[in-house]
Amino acid sequence: MDPLSRPISRRQLLRYTAGGIAVAGLGPLLAACGGGGGGGGKLSMWWWGDQEAVGVKKWVDDTIAKFKEQTGTTIDPLLMDTNNVIPKFTNAAAAGKPPDIQFIFNGIYHMENVWLGYLAPLNGLVSDNVLKTSGATVLSDFEGKQYRVGFYIVGFGLEYNKELFSKAGLNADSPPKTWDEFLNACDKLKSSGVQPLTGGIKDGFLGEWYFVNTLTQALDSPAEALDLFIGKLDWREPKYHEHWVKLQELYDNGFINNDINSLELYQGIAPFNDGKAAMTINTTAALPDSQSKLGDKLGYFVMPTFGSGKMAGIPITDTQGFGIPTKGHDHEDAAKFLEFMHSPDRLKAMWTLSKALPADDTFDSSLIDDPFLKGVYDEWWKGTHNVYVADLMPTLFWTDAMFVASQKILAGTLKGDQTGDLAAQVTEKWKKQNPDLVEKYTTWGKDLAV
Amino acid sequence: MLKTRSWAPYAYVAPAALLIGFIFAYPIARVIDFSMRLIRGNSGPFVGLNNYRLIFEDPTFVAAAKHSALLLVAVPVLLAISVLVAVLLFERVRGWRIYRSVLFFPYILAVPIIGIVASYLFTLNGVVNAILRGIGLGGPDWLGNEKLALVTLMIVIVWREVGFGIVLFLARLLSLPEEQIEAARIDGAGWWARLRHIILPELRGTIEFYCVVAAITMLAWVFGYVYTLTGGGPGNATVVLEFYIYNQGLRNSLPGMASAVAVLLMGATMIFIAVLFWVRSRAREEEVA
Repeated sequence: MDPLSRPISRRQLLRYTAGGIAVAGLGPLLAACGGGGGGGGKLSMWWWGDQEAVGVKKWVDDTIAKFKEQTGTTIDPLLMDTNNVIPKFTNAAAAGKPPDIQFIFNGIYHMENVWLGYLAPLNGLVSDNVLKTSGATVLSDFEGKQYRVGFYIVGFGLEYNKELFSKAGLNADSPPKTWDEFLNACDKLKSSGVQPLTGGIKDGFLGEWYFVNTLTQALDSPAEALDLFIGKLDWREPKYHEHWVKLQELYDNGFINNDINSLELYQGIAPFNDGKAAMTINTTAALPDSQSKLGDKLGYFVMPTFGSGKMAGIPITDTQGFGIPTKGHDHEDAAKFLEFMHSPDRLKAMWTLSKALPADDTFDSSLIDDPFLKGVYDEWWKGTHNVYVADLMPTLFWTDAMFVASQKILAGTLKGDQTGDLAAQVTEKWKKQNPDLVEKYTTWGKDLAV
Repeated sequence: MLKTRSWAPYAYVAPAALLIGFIFAYPIARVIDFSMRLIRGNSGPFVGLNNYRLIFEDPTFVAAAKHSALLLVAVPVLLAISVLVAVLLFERVRGWRIYRSVLFFPYILAVPIIGIVASYLFTLNGVVNAILRGIGLGGPDWLGNEKLALVTLMIVIVWREVGFGIVLFLARLLSLPEEQIEAARIDGAGWWARLRHIILPELRGTIEFYCVVAAITMLAWVFGYVYTLTGGGPGNATVVLEFYIYNQGLRNSLPGMASAVAVLLMGATMIFIAVLFWVRSRAREEEVA
């Protein structure tokens, strides 16, 4: 009888099962023996970024290859989806099986994992110099410890098409600085037959970008934003929801594309890159891509101001970053890789290979051979800049207030001056649902106020 | 007669019972346990029924429950289309086998693919509206209008799920004895009479089964559509219970509250299953009588 078609006995089944279990059990044990910080090990890395800084994967792959050449350590990267990169990490960390190196967004997106003990403080692991210069921003610190190093920078502002500005009779080299100038520009663009602003808000990310670009104008410090999110300050105070009143103003005047609610972020940006709309809210990470389509016609400016907070009119810049999970199996090698990412050669390579702008104070911006992008880098990173206050936003506020308010305003079913009530209700709801986090936020707020 | 010890049958059943218990009962017990804790990471302090109280106080949950209930409207629509098309195919119209395959095709496509494609088709300036405008009917904002978004979602769900119903009913019809229908035809029964007096009574059991399955689908299997098609928006116009669970459990880091909703959803689903069993047992009793 063919051995493969012979019936298996109960005894054989038990033997094979026991063997299988033994092999399955030995696997992690053998894997655990592979690390050790002495090089030659294997690390896993979950990351995100190529969706935003298109092309940065080339740099990541090259950096991993160079790191292996120098240390013998293999990094196994896994590029994650935007919505999954943090939740999957949190779940894996809760199960005790996180990767060795983890991409983390700034602020609350990693701070909740810090509070759960899933991320290790980097002090003592990564050199103090790299920690200081790596562009992690103050939002990566909690109770004196730093949990992130920077990756690349993401500035926030408005892209504009200089050619369409000129055709509408506007000065293409002097984009609007105040809200009135902005409305005037929109009006002239509309009169010239051009769509002034384009975007897609179905997935909510544009709502977040708008929210940060405009709420920040009402604030004196990041701590003030945090006080709003935890209910110490009141959203119903007009200056704290004025940004949504202004959004309604843009909607009522017909300055925004009428299909904004049915488009996702990048679907909404596409008409700008195709030269069919004059302006769009976008990040600096997307500028090389827009530049490849619009060339010299592309310009970038800070959101025009209506607010009178100390943070008004100043560029907003965030950084993406990496951390080391507490239960990663080789902190030492993981820290070496983070330091390697910030070595001068790698910083230079990020620009030459991917046209991404590295989050590192030691990066020599004279290497940026594109005058437009160099100007943006110098203004948004080297110059005075604000943190990205959405990094302080509880996710519940994102899903139930920011997302809802911006979409409803743009659907014409909520007035800007009604949003203060909505935001205040959601803040109270968050406090009820997360009594333990209120205390953590308060502690964090003290760090930010220092 | 072979004598066995009284515990022996239990011992034989025990491994399978333990396995089933581990696979099904343990996760359900964990979800119920989670629903009464403020979960942070793997566990958290016991909070009794507080999570249940919080979800009933949450306007987003109330909206989600309402939207899930509204989606049940799609069940009779699915049933009517499925039965009607299955009966038409059963008439062996020319090329019926091809139609059957074509109609079943959407059902074998992955939900995310359908969601993504539909989200392009139904944009304000998408293909659907281009066609409507082409024939002078204008074109609404299918996904961007709060009043229409749930209807659009329902249309896409029905479009995909109807294939399963058609094949199910057609399979049942093809198993009917041809003589009965042929005899009715010879006796002069028209299409409507055959449908009403022969086909529908024969389909009764399948209809009951399909209604319950479709209702469970609407309550607990539409996440993929919502996630890819609308993301719960505009505003919270298409947030359903599953999406609320996802938001609370994964995005808002509140697995305890997500579990509480899951327990309630499981309860609602079990009611449907209980109704199915009750209807089936009553039907059997009637048949016996």
